[in-house]
Amino acid sequence: MTASRHSVKRTSNLVAAGFLLTLWLPGCSPYELRHENQWNAREQIWLSESSQLKVRSAQSRVYDTTDRRRLLEAIVSTLQDLDFKVEVLDDELGIVSGKKFVNIEEPFGTDPTYFFYRPDTILLLTRNYRTWGPFWHRSNLVRFTATIRPRGETQLMVRVNTQFYLRAVEDPAPYQTFFRTLEQALFVQGQTAE
Amino acid sequence: MRSNHKGRSMRCTPWVSGCLLIAACLLVSGCQAPETPKDLLVPTEAQLKLRNIQTRTFDVTDRNLAIRAVISSLQDLGFIIERANDSLGLVTAARFAEPNYYDVVSITVTVRQQTPERLTVRVNAIYNNKPLDDPKVYQNFFAALERSIFLAKE
Repeated sequence: MTASRHSVKRTSNLVAAGFLLTLWLPGCSPYELRHENQWNAREQIWLSESSQLKVRSAQSRVYDTTDRRRLLEAIVSTLQDLDFKVEVLDDELGIVSGKKFVNIEEPFGTDPTYFFYRPDTILLLTRNYRTWGPFWHRSNLVRFTATIRPRGETQLMVRVNTQFYLRAVEDPAPYQTFFRTLEQALFVQGQTAE
Repeated sequence: MRSNHKGRSMRCTPWVSGCLLIAACLLVSGCQAPETPKDLLVPTEAQLKLRNIQTRTFDVTDRNLAIRAVISSLQDLGFIIERANDSLGLVTAARFAEPNYYDVVSITVTVRQQTPERLTVRVNAIYNNKPLDDPKVYQNFFAALERSIFLAKE
């Protein structure tokens, strides 16, 4: 009788310990495990889950203007609205790139692997001057590139690429909202310039 | 002999069930990357309010002078210039934030000619991964900028 009570008590202790452990480890926390290592460039080709054509059409938009500079300025100010830091800007080639961090998780204080993170485990993003720095480079980083190129005589085409959690964003929704914001910025700019 | 075997298996049960429970919990919480947020590229309400604080107009005709004034006022404030684009009027800079030297403040400044007599300067400051929303920070920057524009004009 006492033995069975003892085993019941032990089971409940284990259940409690298991529950606490899962609370302590948010998901499967080691950052390394959440990202696949890509050893072969061929994997990269098949990485895209939806049709490239569909993604491309969501990422691109045509504007009836030839004022490339105005469009570039609008993109930069939209990036400023979105709290991006502009990293690359080339008006001859028509490229704007930026990055920002979004708070999707708070590793500090809840995640013990935060302290074991090795910044050199991934070559792609940590070869900058902040390799020592905050560890959310990997999970929270949003990277953005916009290119502007002429389309015919009277139009310009803007293509936007975004990366989140080290993967290309293929969902059309973020691009739609970006272009909406960009159009607002263009409108605002047009209004103030006139 | 048989009863002894049964007793051993009874003894294992709590351990097995505990381990199974932990494994199940881990499986439920998953190992996956988070979904891409739908509002990844949506400006927040706070940011739209912040825009007014971040922007100021100056009665300056020479845009190049204004950009140089921006650079020198950033230098005055201890920033390291990372990028300066004259034709589009963009300057980005960063510095470590005191007293914690592991924090970084990065700043993006754009200078635009609004009319031939006036130009607007817009500043974005980001502290680690959060935008700075304290108006005082921007006021301080613009005060420094006014000083250096005044000096550059002379």
